[in-house]
Order: sequence, then C-alpha cells, then structure tokens
Amino acid sequence: MKQLLLVGSPNSGKSMLFNRLTGMNQRVANFPGITVDTSTGPAVGRSDLLVVDFPGAYSLTPLSGEEQVAVDAFYKLLDVPVGHIEAVVCVVDATRMEKGLVFALQVREACRRAGHPVMIVTNMHDVLERHNQSVDAEGLSQRLDMPVIPISAKSGVGVDQIITRSGQGIEVPKSELKEDLIAFDASVFRNLAESLANEFGPKGDYLLLVHNRADQFFLSTLTGGLSFLLIMFLLFQAIFSWAAPLMDGVESLIGLTADSVLPLIPSGMLHDFVKDALFGGLGAFLVFVPQIFILTLIVGFMEDSGYLARAAVICHRPLRAFGLTGKSFVPMLSGVACAIPGIYAARTIESPRRRWLTYFAIPLMPCSARLPVYGLLIVAFIPNESLLGGAVGLQGLAMLAIYLFGIVMALLIVSLLSRVKAGKGSDLPFVLEMPPYRLPGAKTLGQLAWSRSGDFVKRAGPVIFWVSVVVWVLGYFPNQGANLGESWLGAIGKFIAPIFEPIGLDWKYGVAIIASFLAREVFVGTLGTLYGIEGAEEEFTSLAQQIQDSGISLASGVALFVFFAIAAQCVSTLATLRRESGSWSLPAGLFVGYGVLAYSLAFVAFTLIVGD
Amino acid sequence: MSQIQCANLWQMKRGIQSVIEGFTPALDAAVKARLEELGFHQGARVLCTQAPRLGAPKLYKVGNAVYSLEKTIAECVIAHPVTSE
Ligand SMILES: Nc1nc2c(ncn2[C@@H]2O[C@H](COP(=O)(O)OP(=O)(O)OP(=O)(O)O)[C@@H](O)[C@H]2O)c(=O)[nH]1
Ligand SMILES: [Mg+2]
Repeated sequence: MKQLLLVGSPNSGKSMLFNRLTGMNQRVANFPGITVDTSTGPAVGRSDLLVVDFPGAYSLTPLSGEEQVAVDAFYKLLDVPVGHIEAVVCVVDATRMEKGLVFALQVREACRRAGHPVMIVTNMHDVLERHNQSVDAEGLSQRLDMPVIPISAKSGVGVDQIITRSGQGIEVPKSELKEDLIAFDASVFRNLAESLANEFGPKGDYLLLVHNRADQFFLSTLTGGLSFLLIMFLLFQAIFSWAAPLMDGVESLIGLTADSVLPLIPSGMLHDFVKDALFGGLGAFLVFVPQIFILTLIVGFMEDSGYLARAAVICHRPLRAFGLTGKSFVPMLSGVACAIPGIYAARTIESPRRRWLTYFAIPLMPCSARLPVYGLLIVAFIPNESLLGGAVGLQGLAMLAIYLFGIVMALLIVSLLSRVKAGKGSDLPFVLEMPPYRLPGAKTLGQLAWSRSGDFVKRAGPVIFWVSVVVWVLGYFPNQGANLGESWLGAIGKFIAPIFEPIGLDWKYGVAIIASFLAREVFVGTLGTLYGIEGAEEEFTSLAQQIQDSGISLASGVALFVFFAIAAQCVSTLATLRRESGSWSLPAGLFVGYGVLAYSLAFVAFTLIVGD
Repeated sequence: MSQIQCANLWQMKRGIQSVIEGFTPALDAAVKARLEELGFHQGARVLCTQAPRLGAPKLYKVGNAVYSLEKTIAECVIAHPVTSE
C-alpha cells in the first residue's frame, strides 16, 4: 500500500484535509497542537492509498515532546524504500505563508535527500478569496521545483487535485535550494521562506487587523476578565440548566420503554433482571449522556472560535502562581469533559515539570463521569428551590459549589506539590501561537459532540452493564431477590460495611463505591440495581426518589460529594497516565494519595456536619 | 535615552514596533532556535499588538502570525523601538 503523508505547522488544517481525503472523522480544532498522534486511513476512491495525518510541528528540530513524536514518526516513515511513499504533502496555511513555508522547506530538503516525492498544499483559500487575495501557486511551484496546489479543506475545493496529482507521479525535487545548504540551517530556510512568502503569498496583514480588535476586547483587563467569567458562567449554566430538559426527555423515554417492555415479560427472574439491572442500572446512567453532549459542544465551540488560546493567555499568570502555565488551562478544561483527552492535551506543555503538575490537576477536574453521581446526589439531597426570585436555582448552585470545590482542590494540591518538587531551573517558557478567530462550523461541532458522547457510552456502557449484571446476580441470589440483606452481596456488604460506617453510609453505598473504582458512573448503575432489587414495586421509580426514601442523612450526602470530588476512581485515566508518563509510579501515587485524601476529607466533612 | 535605545521586547508597549537586535546570553539555546524559527530573529520587525496588564503574556506579531510570549522569555529578546512609518 502506498502512503500519502500529511505534514505541516500546527493548526494549518491537516486533520480537516485528512477527513476530506479519507471520509473519516478526526478531531479538528482551532488551537495549535490538537492532533497528538499520527492517524491513518485509506483514501476515498483509492483503497490502495493510505493517508497519514501527523501532529503539527513548527520545524524538524523539535522542542517539545509532542513535536518529537511527530518528527520521529516522520523520519521513520521516510526511511522506507523509494516508491512506498506516493507523496509527502506539506500543508501550509495560506494566510500565514511564511511560517508554514519554513517547515515546508525543511520537509522538501528531507524528502529530496531520502528520494521521496513531495508537494505543497496551500490551504484556507476560502478565507483568502473572501479578502480578494490569492497565492501565486504556479510561480511558487516553478521556483521550488515541486507541485503547489491551492485548496480549501473546508469547502473541499481543490482537494481531489491532490490525489490526482500524486497519482500521476511526482518527480523528486532535484535542485538544492542553495548551493551552500549543508545542514538544516535555520536562517537559510527562514530567509528563503520570507522572500517566497513576500513574492508569491497574499499581500498585507488584513486579517490580523480584524483579529487584533477582538484581542483588544478579550485580553484587556476589564472586558477580557469580565468576558472570561461570563463565558465560564455560561458554560456551567448550559451544562446544568439547558441540559435539564434533554435529560428529563431521556429519563421519560427510559421510563416509557420500561413501562411498555416490562409487562411483556412474565414475572419471575428474567422480569426482575430486566427491570433492576437493565432499566435500573444502565438506564440510570444513560440519563446523563445529554449533559456530556452539551459540554463537548460548548468546549468545542470555544476551542474552534479561537477563544481558548486567549483564555490560555488570560489564565497564564494566575495558573503560574500555582506552578502551572497558561497551557495547563486547555488540558484542565478538557478535563471537565473527561480526564483522558485532558491528559493527551497536556502534551502541548513543553516544560516536563509543569506537565507533571498538570497531570495531578486533571483528575480533580469535575469530569463528566462525575456528573451522573453529582446529579443524582443533588436531586436526592438538595431541595428544588430557587433563590432571588427564581433567578438562581439551589440545585444549580450546589453543582457550582461542588465543581468549584474540585477545581480549588486541584489548584491547592498542585501548588503544594510544586513547592515540594521545586527547582529544576530549565522550565521551558510560554510561547503560544494565537490562532485566528473563526466562526466554528456547526457540522464539525455536532460531529465532535456526537462522537464524544458515543465514545463515552461505548466505553462506560459495557462496564456498567457487566457490573450491573454481577451486582444483580450477587444481590438476587440465593433467595430470588426476596431479601437483599440476606443475599450473597449482602454478606460481602456487611464485611466491608465498617469502612463506610464512619461516614454514615450503609453497605449498599459501600458496594456501589467499591464498584465505582472501575469508573465513577458505575456508582449510579450499581445503586440503581441494588435499590431495584430491594424495592418491591413493579413501577420504574427514579433512583433519587428511592435514595430520599431510604432516609440517609445530609451529612453522608456531603461526605459522598467530597469523596467523589477527589478520589481517582477511573481505570482508564490511570492507564492513560501510565502510558503518557511512561511509568506506574505516577498513577499509583495519584490513586493511593487521592484515595486517602478523599476518605479523610469525607470523614471530616461528615463529622463537622453531624457535630453541628 | 540609552534605555530606549537598547531595550527588550517585554518593555515594548502596545502598538510599538521594534527591531530585534539579539538575545541575552541567559536564553536557552533550544528556545532561542525555536524563537528564530517562529520569526523572532535578528533584524526581524516585531509589533507588540497587545500588552494586557497584570503581567499576562504579551502578544507580538512577527511575519504574518501572532504569538504570545511571557515575561521571562520576552525579556531575553533585545530590541530597539522604531518609529512606525
Ligand atoms: N476557513 C477555513 N478553515 C479551515 C480550513 N482548513 C482547516 N480550517 C480550520 O482550521 C483549524 C485547524 O484545523 P485542523 O485540521 O485541526 O488543523 P491541524 O493542522 O490538524 O492542527 P494540529 O493537529 O493542531 O496540528 C480548524 O478550526 C479548522 O476548522 C479551510 O480550508 N478553511
Ligand atoms: Mg490535526
């Protein structure tokens, strides 16, 4: 199979082009360094051609870990016999020609030496056209002795040209660009790129002027600070208020399905299983998927509009005080959706020490797997009342408080750790390219949110299903669900009960907490199954209602909140941390440390409230 | 006067254009190389487009891209202001 390699500067549109060429759905976003691993897929209509999407790099002499990955992978792929690579495609953002050309020239030279064909693709021509600008592709092509194809990955114009042209066979560039070009001398490439961009590229800085006005607004102390707070407020408002109708919808849907399916099954073991494990366990968790959808949608919007890079600038100073950097902001915000993409996003942090500290902050961010737990506890413990004449809901406020608690804990712990692990002078500094402001594409965002929610269900669903099954079997036998306390699970539960007694929780919560160490959301499913078995009623009752009826105290509720806010209960997060940090010591330390801290603080919270 | 003649990028106010003269010896070689690749090389014209207060990183336009640089690094770039045309 022949290969087509897509390389280029960060944020030049490689992944969008990759999606066009392969019909796949890779993550595209307006922030440099979104792609952190190579991905591959066959070209549409050319099943013999494998397209490879690379992480962006500014140069072939890497500075950060993410670039090292890209550069190493690139050289490794170049190291194949001549003929295996149909073409190396340098994607250059035509609105920022100079920067892209520096890299393209380096790639051209590397390909020339390795004997592989190479071409330049100037992307974003839709933007240029809107401003009556163009690129002299013909002239540039002649000067560099390689094809130059203008395209718009967004509209698709020119994309088929790439495949056609590479299929015709491209000559490996023969000429050296300068006689004296011995090493990858930065200044030679730079000067050449500058003069080429001036000669063949678009004229003027029209775009930057518009963006500068927006920067003036979003970065100045007053308007910038206020808009930052407003945007964060809207983000949380959306998750908790706007998602509510959707969640209610899903809940009624599950209820309706349960009501219409259950009567069809003759009462007995199967009936009980479907009711308790399927509708009770899995159903309780599905209710929270809309929240995850909305969260991804909004974070995606912020990222694609170009705002996130500005937010990183605004947050740099404050985060610095805790030992982090502005670049920790994006991983941490992604962590609000899910820790795993957050951990990957931390690759953009050049300084190893700051990256390490960011790893500690991410698992404390209130991730969407905590949402089902928080959501359940809030409905169960916080009355649905509103303050200030209906403007602020008490439940929403509680959610905000628990979110802030997680974030504050993250910052406190990280700043403590940074004191302990001080020094190590060679911190790489904060340099971040500002992407242009853009109106995000509805399709890109929708796809992203859809696939993220889908991934979430796919990843968590089977785990929850099997845990629900196991919990149900253990809880149902040997007495056919007649008495949960006397079941096998009851016996196990009583054994572990002393652990949870100090925070006022009975053994059912103990079992659910133990199960939730696989993944937090399992807590909801497990509890749903347990109450399902216990409850005699045939109707599908909401889990929150059942918790309320069980008479558990507010102090225990708060203890649960605190425990879930801190404990690192997620196997996938720990596995990802191991992969990214290359050792078990980080995830193991984090798991034990946060576990002990979570339990201790939960105990303190419980004692304080009970003591009142 | 001499202070303005030989300043660093961090001292440039919003809207001030400057020409890079070099780097302080303290600057890490790899970081220097990266800055040069991004366009912050000797003789390059740099425009400070945003200088938020409270010590936030400043924005600098060089070539046709804009980068934010934090204080510790912008201070290592020696530059002198030029009166814009
Ligand atoms: N207007 C316009 N926007 C584009 C075009 N191609 C890409 N974009 C946008 O440019 C941004 C970056 O696109 P990506 O495909 O993520 O860029 P990338 O090169 O893969 O970036 P990294 O993975 O970070 O290196 C996104 O906001 C895209 O929507 C285009 O042809 N026209
Ligand atoms: Mg990409």
